[in-house]
Amino acid sequence: MSAFLRLLARNRLALGGLIVLGIVVILALLTPVLPLKPPNVTDTPNRFLPPFSEGAVLGTDHLGRDLLSRLMWGTRLSLAVGFAAAVIAATIGAAIGIVAGYYGGRTDNVIMRGVDMLMAFPYILLALAIVAALGPGLMNALIAVAAVNIPFFARNIRGITVGIANKEFVDAAKLAGMSDAKIIVTEVLPNVIPVIVIAMSTTVGWMILETAGLSFLGLGSQPPRADLGSMLGEARSALITNPHTSIVPGLMILVIVMAINLLGDGVRDALDPRLKSGALSRPMPATMVSRTGPIPQAEGDDLLAVRDLKTQFHVKDRVYKAVGGVDLSLKPGECVGLIGESGSGKSVTALSIMGLVASPPGVITGGAVHYKGEDLVGAPYDVLRSLRGRHVAYIFQDPQATLHPLYTVGDQLIEAVSSHRRISRDEGRAHAIDLLKQVRIPNAENRIDSYPHELSGGMRQRVGIAMALANDPEIIIADEPTTALDVTVQAQILTLLDDLRRDRGLAILFITHDFGVVAQLCDRVAVMYAGRIVEKGPTDAILNAPAHPYTAKLMACVPELGAGRRRLEAIPGLPPGVDQLPRGCAFADRCHRVTEACRARAIPLEAHGAERSVRCIHPVEAPKTEAAQ
Amino acid sequence: MAGYILKRLVSAVPVLLGISIIVFLIMAMIPGDPATAILGSFATPENVAALNEDLGLDKPLVQRYFIWLGNMLQGDFGRSFALNRPVLDEVTERFNATLVLAGSAFILCTVFGIAAGVISAANQYGLADKAITFVVLLGISIPSFFLGMMMILVFAVNLRWFPVSGMWPIFGDRTLWVLLDHLAMPATALAVVATGVVARLSRSAMLEVLRQDFIRTARAKGVHERRVIWGHALRAAMVSIIPVLGLQAGFVLSGAVYIEMVFQWPGVGRMLVDAILRRDILLVQGGVVFVAACYVMFNIMVDVAQSLLDPRIKT
Repeated sequence: MSAFLRLLARNRLALGGLIVLGIVVILALLTPVLPLKPPNVTDTPNRFLPPFSEGAVLGTDHLGRDLLSRLMWGTRLSLAVGFAAAVIAATIGAAIGIVAGYYGGRTDNVIMRGVDMLMAFPYILLALAIVAALGPGLMNALIAVAAVNIPFFARNIRGITVGIANKEFVDAAKLAGMSDAKIIVTEVLPNVIPVIVIAMSTTVGWMILETAGLSFLGLGSQPPRADLGSMLGEARSALITNPHTSIVPGLMILVIVMAINLLGDGVRDALDPRLKSGALSRPMPATMVSRTGPIPQAEGDDLLAVRDLKTQFHVKDRVYKAVGGVDLSLKPGECVGLIGESGSGKSVTALSIMGLVASPPGVITGGAVHYKGEDLVGAPYDVLRSLRGRHVAYIFQDPQATLHPLYTVGDQLIEAVSSHRRISRDEGRAHAIDLLKQVRIPNAENRIDSYPHELSGGMRQRVGIAMALANDPEIIIADEPTTALDVTVQAQILTLLDDLRRDRGLAILFITHDFGVVAQLCDRVAVMYAGRIVEKGPTDAILNAPAHPYTAKLMACVPELGAGRRRLEAIPGLPPGVDQLPRGCAFADRCHRVTEACRARAIPLEAHGAERSVRCIHPVEAPKTEAAQ
Repeated sequence: MAGYILKRLVSAVPVLLGISIIVFLIMAMIPGDPATAILGSFATPENVAALNEDLGLDKPLVQRYFIWLGNMLQGDFGRSFALNRPVLDEVTERFNATLVLAGSAFILCTVFGIAAGVISAANQYGLADKAITFVVLLGISIPSFFLGMMMILVFAVNLRWFPVSGMWPIFGDRTLWVLLDHLAMPATALAVVATGVVARLSRSAMLEVLRQDFIRTARAKGVHERRVIWGHALRAAMVSIIPVLGLQAGFVLSGAVYIEMVFQWPGVGRMLVDAILRRDILLVQGGVVFVAACYVMFNIMVDVAQSLLDPRIKT
C-alpha cells in the first residue's frame, strides 16, 4: 500500500489532480458553513451582474441569484450525485460480476447474456429510457446513470473473478469445507477490490459528466435546486448576452473531471504492474549509441569486424552489461558460430551489429562494428536502413512471432525487395515465388498468398530465410533459426543454409546454443559467457580439445553430437547476473579449476596456439576425457 | 464472407429481441397509466378506459409485449400523440439528421484519434507525445455541451465564422456547402471526447505492437521507419483499435443528444428529450428501439471490418 502511495506521489500530474480534487471536495463539504449568500433567493433587479461586482464575486444569474453561492452548492450536489452513482454502479456491478464469475456455467451464461444486451445500447439511450419511465428528477437521473454503468463493472469484475475462482487457494478453501459465501468474502473479494478501485477511478469522472449532462438536458435536478449541469442548462439561453453565467459552471465541471482523470490515470499506472517496470517503452528505429573511450579503427580486410563491442541495458538505475567487449570477424563465404547459454549475450551481440537492440533500454556504450571498413555504430539511420536486409540480413528465431500476422507471405517478401529498389508488382511477385522455390517450399505459386498462420513452423522459418535472401546479401546473421523447430525440420533447414552458403558465397554468423549445429555448419566458433567471448578458434580444434573449462563443460552436456535436443543443465550453478559481474573470471563460481588468481583480476583473452584464443589462466590442456570427469 | 455476415446477422436476432424486452420492461415501470398522461388530469374515467382499450393497455403484460413487437415488425411503431404522426416517420426523419452529425463526428474521431495516437506512440515521451497527451486529457475532460457552447460564443458570435445553430438556414438553398458550414462546429464538438479516447487507446495499442518481434523483422529488412510505424505497426494495432471504434460509435451517438440540444440540430436525440419532457411514451419507446437496433447493425459492420483486416478470424 505504501509503495502504491509512493508511486502515486511520484506521478506529479496525479498528485496535482489529487490536490485540486481535494480542495474542491473540501470546499464542497464546507459549503453549508461558508459565509455564502443563500443560493436560491432571487433578486431580479440585480440580474446578470458581471463577475467582480460588489457583493457578487462571480456575478449573478438570470434571476439575480449569487453565482458563487450557486456554484458551490451545485458543485456539492454534482460531486455527491456522481460519487453516489459510481459507488452504486460499482457495488451492484461487482456483485453481479463476482456471482457470475464465481459460479460460472449456466449462472454465468444467463447473467452475461443480460449484460451483453444492456451493453448493446448506446449508454444514453438506456439512461433516457429510464428517466422517461421514472420521470425527470435528480434521484432518477442518478439511478439511470448508475444503472447504465453496471454492465461495465459486471463484465470487468467477472473477468477477474473467473481467474481467481480457478486458483489453488480457492480450491483449497473449498476442500476445507468453507461455504461459497465465505470464500467470496475472504478469498475473492480482497483480490478484486483493486480492480474495482481502478474501474471506479476511471469512470467516476464519466459519471459526473453524465449526471451533469442529464441535468443539462433538463432531466436531472429540477429548479430551484441546481447542480452544475442544470446551471449550465439554465444559462444556455443567456449564452450570447451573458456568457459568464455559462462559463462559471462549465469551467467547474472541466476542473473536477480533469482532476479526477489525472488522479485516475495515476491510480491505474500505480496499480498496473506492467507500467511499473517501464516495459511499455517503444523501441526506437535504431539502438541508442553513447560511446565512451576510444573507438577502434578498422583494420584488415574482414567483411564484417566487431571490435570491443559493448552493449548495455539501462533499466531504472541498474545497468545490465549484456555484451562486455566482444571481438568477432567474418570473411566472405565464411560461417562463424557464436555459442553460449541463454542470457550469455550472443543475441544482443548479433542485434547490435545493425542497431536492432530494443532501445530503450538498450544502449551501445563502446566499440565498433566495421562493415567493409565503415563503422556502423552511430551511423546515421539512413545508412543503417539501406544496409539492413540488403547487405546484412537477419534470420530470427521463432518464425511465429517474427513474421507479420496480417500480411501475406508474398507481400512480406516483396517488401523486403521494394524497401531497397523500385520493383513492379509482377516482377516482385515472380521474384517472391522464385525465392520460395529456392528455400524449397512446395507449391510456391499458391503459398505466396498464404498468411503466416496458415503455414507450419518449418515453412514459416523457410519464409524467414527466403526473406533474408531476397536482396542477395553478403552477410546473413542467423539468430537461433532452428531452435523452435523439431529435429527433422532443423536438419533440413541447416542443410539448406549450408547449400546457400556454398552456392552464393554468403558469410553467415550463426548464433546457437547447440554444438551439434556448430559442428555441422561452422568454420570457426566463438563461445560466449556472461557477455564476453571466453574461447574462439577453428571449429574442429575446439570441438576436439576445448581449452576453456566452460567450453569443456558445455560440450560434456552434449551426449552425442548430432542427436536430439541438447540441454545445458548439467553445469552446476547459474551464470552471474550481468548487472553484478565479478571483477575476475565470471565462470569462477561454477568452475572446478578455480584458484584465487581467477577472482583477483579481469582475465584477458589470450592466444592459445596458432589460431585459437582463450580467456582462462588455467586452460584445460588435455581434451574431453578429463573435462567430462 | 457472405456466410460470416449471415451468421453475425442471425446472432443479432436475440440481441435485438433482448433490446426490445428491456425497453418494453422499462416503459412498463411507468407509474400511473399512459392514458391519463395523454388525456390529461381532467379526463373522465370512461374516456381513460376507452383509450386504454384502444392502446391495448387492459391486456396482460406478456400479451402486450408481443402485440407491440408484432406491430413493430410490420413497421408500425405506433403514433406519437404529441406530434400526431406515426412514430416511425418521425424517428427515421430525425435519425437522418443525427446520422449526418454523428457520422461526421465518427469519421473525425477515427481519423484524428488514430493519427494522434500513432504520432504520440512513435514519439513516446517526446514533445509531440506530451502535447498530444495533454490535449487529449483536456478533450476527454471537457463536457461536450460546454465545449459546444464555448464554440458558439467564439466562432459563431465573436468571429462569425460559422452559423450559430441549426442544420439548414430558414431561407436559402440547401446545398452541401451550406450543410457543411452548419455541420462544422457541432461535428467537431461531438468528436472531441471520442477523439481523445481513440487517441489514448491507439497510443497504447501501438506501444504494445511496437515491441513485437515482427516489427524488429520489418526493421531488419530495411523497411523505412515511416512504413514500419504507419504500415506494419498500425495495421497490427488496428486489430485492437477497431473494436473500440465500435464502442465509440455508441459514445458519439450518445453525445449527439447534448450537441443536438446545444446546436438546435433536428436530430433524434433532441426528439427524445422533448418526448420525455412531454411524456410522449410511444415516441420514446420507438426512438430508443430504432436507434439501438441501428447501433447493433453498425457493430456487426465493425465485426465484418475486423474479419476483413485479420485473416486469423474464422469467417
